[in-house]
Amino acid sequence: MKKIMNKPTEVVGDALMGLQMAYPDALSYIPKLEVICRKEKKIDKVALISGGGAGHEPLHAGYVGKGMLDAAVSGNVFSSPSPDRIGTALREVSCGKGVLMVIKNYSGDIMNFGMAADLAKLDGIETSQVIVKDDAAVPDREEGTGRRGIAGTVFVHKIAGARAEQGASLEEVRASAEKAVRNIRTMGVAMTPCILPAVGKPGFQIAEDEIEIGMGIHGEQGVESSKIKTAKEIAEILLDKIMADYDYSGAEAAVLINGLGGTPLMELYILNMEVQKLLKEREIKAYRTLVGNYCTSIDMTGASITLMKLDEELKALLDAPCDTPAWKI
Amino acid sequence: MDFSLRSRDYVEYIKRAYELIHSRGDYITELDSATGDGDHWTNLNMGFESLVQQAERLEEMELSEQFREIGRIMMSVIGGSSGILYGSAYIAASKTLEGKEKIGEETLYEVLLSMRDAIISRGQAKEGDKTMIDSLAPAVKKYKECLDRQEDAELLCEKVKKAAEEGAENTKKMEAVRGRASYQADRGLGHLDPGAVTMSYQLVTLMDFAAEKSREK
Repeated sequence: MKKIMNKPTEVVGDALMGLQMAYPDALSYIPKLEVICRKEKKIDKVALISGGGAGHEPLHAGYVGKGMLDAAVSGNVFSSPSPDRIGTALREVSCGKGVLMVIKNYSGDIMNFGMAADLAKLDGIETSQVIVKDDAAVPDREEGTGRRGIAGTVFVHKIAGARAEQGASLEEVRASAEKAVRNIRTMGVAMTPCILPAVGKPGFQIAEDEIEIGMGIHGEQGVESSKIKTAKEIAEILLDKIMADYDYSGAEAAVLINGLGGTPLMELYILNMEVQKLLKEREIKAYRTLVGNYCTSIDMTGASITLMKLDEELKALLDAPCDTPAWKI
Repeated sequence: MDFSLRSRDYVEYIKRAYELIHSRGDYITELDSATGDGDHWTNLNMGFESLVQQAERLEEMELSEQFREIGRIMMSVIGGSSGILYGSAYIAASKTLEGKEKIGEETLYEVLLSMRDAIISRGQAKEGDKTMIDSLAPAVKKYKECLDRQEDAELLCEKVKKAAEEGAENTKKMEAVRGRASYQADRGLGHLDPGAVTMSYQLVTLMDFAAEKSREK
C-alpha cells in the first residue's frame, strides 16, 4: 500500500481538516466529531445534512455550502458515523425550521441516523429523512436492506439544497428530494479493487482481464464479472441495466459520469462520449452533464453512470446556483 | 458454585476479549472481505482498544454506570452497524444492572437477554438472518435452559460458550438478509458471518472468565 497519510487511524480527520483549510472562509470543521459545516450557520431556512462512511470523497463534506448541504458528518472509512456525531451536526445547523437528513440506504446509516433523530427530538429538533437508493445493480426488494445508495446521492443533495434555499418547508424539501430519488438510477463498473488505509491490502480481487459490473462503492460484489470491454460496450451494458429498471425514453435527464477514485479523467471523458451518443440514439436529452470524481470508492478504478429524469421543477432546482468545494453553478 | 463479577472483573473481561479480538485481525478481515468490505475487525478492535485505554476510569464505576459508559464508547468509537448495535446492547443492559454491585449467574442471564433484545430491536433483524444475533441468541437460550435445570455454574459456562460458538459456525449455512452480504448473488452462503464470529469471541471469553471465577470461590 502506498498512500499519502500519517496514520491509518487518522485519515478521516486529517482529510476533513485539509478540506476545511482549502475553504477557510466557507467551512468550519469540528475535530473528533468529524463534522464539516457551513461557516454561515443557522441560516433562516430548512437545514440539510448528510453523511456516512468516509472514503467517498468529495461526498459528503465536499457538498457543504450554499445551495447544497449545511453540514456533513463522517464515520470511519466505509463505516457509518455514530449518533453522537450526527447529533452534533443536527445541533450545529438547526434553526427551528427542521432538518432534512439525506441518508444512503445502508443498514448502519439507517440505524445511526435514526437514533440521532430520536435523540434530537428530545432536544426539540424536528427532523425528516430521505433514503437514497439508486443502485440499479441491486433488486429493490421489500425484505432486508434493499437497494444501495451511491453516486445519485449528489443529485439529491443538489435538489434538496436548492429547494431549501427557496425557503420551502421541511415537508416540501423532503418531497422534492423524494421525487429526485424516484427519478435517479445509477449503474457502476469496477476494474480494480480499493485498499482501505487501515487494512493495507485489497479486500477482494478482480482478475487482470476482467471487470465487475454493478460493484458497490464499498466493493460489494457486482451482478456479473465479465472480460474487459471497450468503452462503447461498457456504456451500453450500464445504460441497458439502468433503462431496464426505469423508463427514461424521450425524457430530459441530468447525467453524471462518475469516477470511483482511481480512474483518470481521460477515461471518464471517453465513457461520457459513448454515453452521450447512446442517449441521443435512445432519444434521451442530456440536459446537464457532470464528469468527474463525485462519489468515489477510495482508490478503486472504474466508473458509474447516473441518470436523473427531469421535469420542470427538478430542472429549475438543478440549475439553481450552488457554491461548494465539489460543485459550483 | 455461582460466580460473581464486579466492576473490576468486568473490565478484566474486556481486556481479555480485546486480546482475543486483537489477535484475530487477519482472520476476521479475511472473513469480512468475503462478504462485506473488510472493516469490521478494524472498527471493533478500535472500540475495544479504546475501552482498554480507559480501563482505570471504568473500573471505578458502578456496574450500571460502567455498562452505560462502555455502550457510549462503543457506539462512538466503533461506529457503523456494530457500534450502534453493541452500544444499544450495553445501554439496555445497564438498566438491568441498576443498584447491583455484582453480576451473578442470574444477573448475567438478564444482561445477555437484554443485550439480545436491544440488538434485535435496533437492527430489525431476527435469528437466522446471518448476523451477530446468531451467536448471541442461541447462547442466551442455552443459558436459560441451564438455569432452569439448575446446572452447575462451570457446566453452564461451558454449555453457553459452546452454543455461542456453534451459533457463529451455523451462519455458514445462512443467507444474509441485511447488511452488505445481502447484496451478493449467493447472499454470503457458505461464508461465516464475521459479526457472529466476533460476538462468539466475546461470549467465549466471558464464559471462560465466569467459569474461572466460579472455580476461585
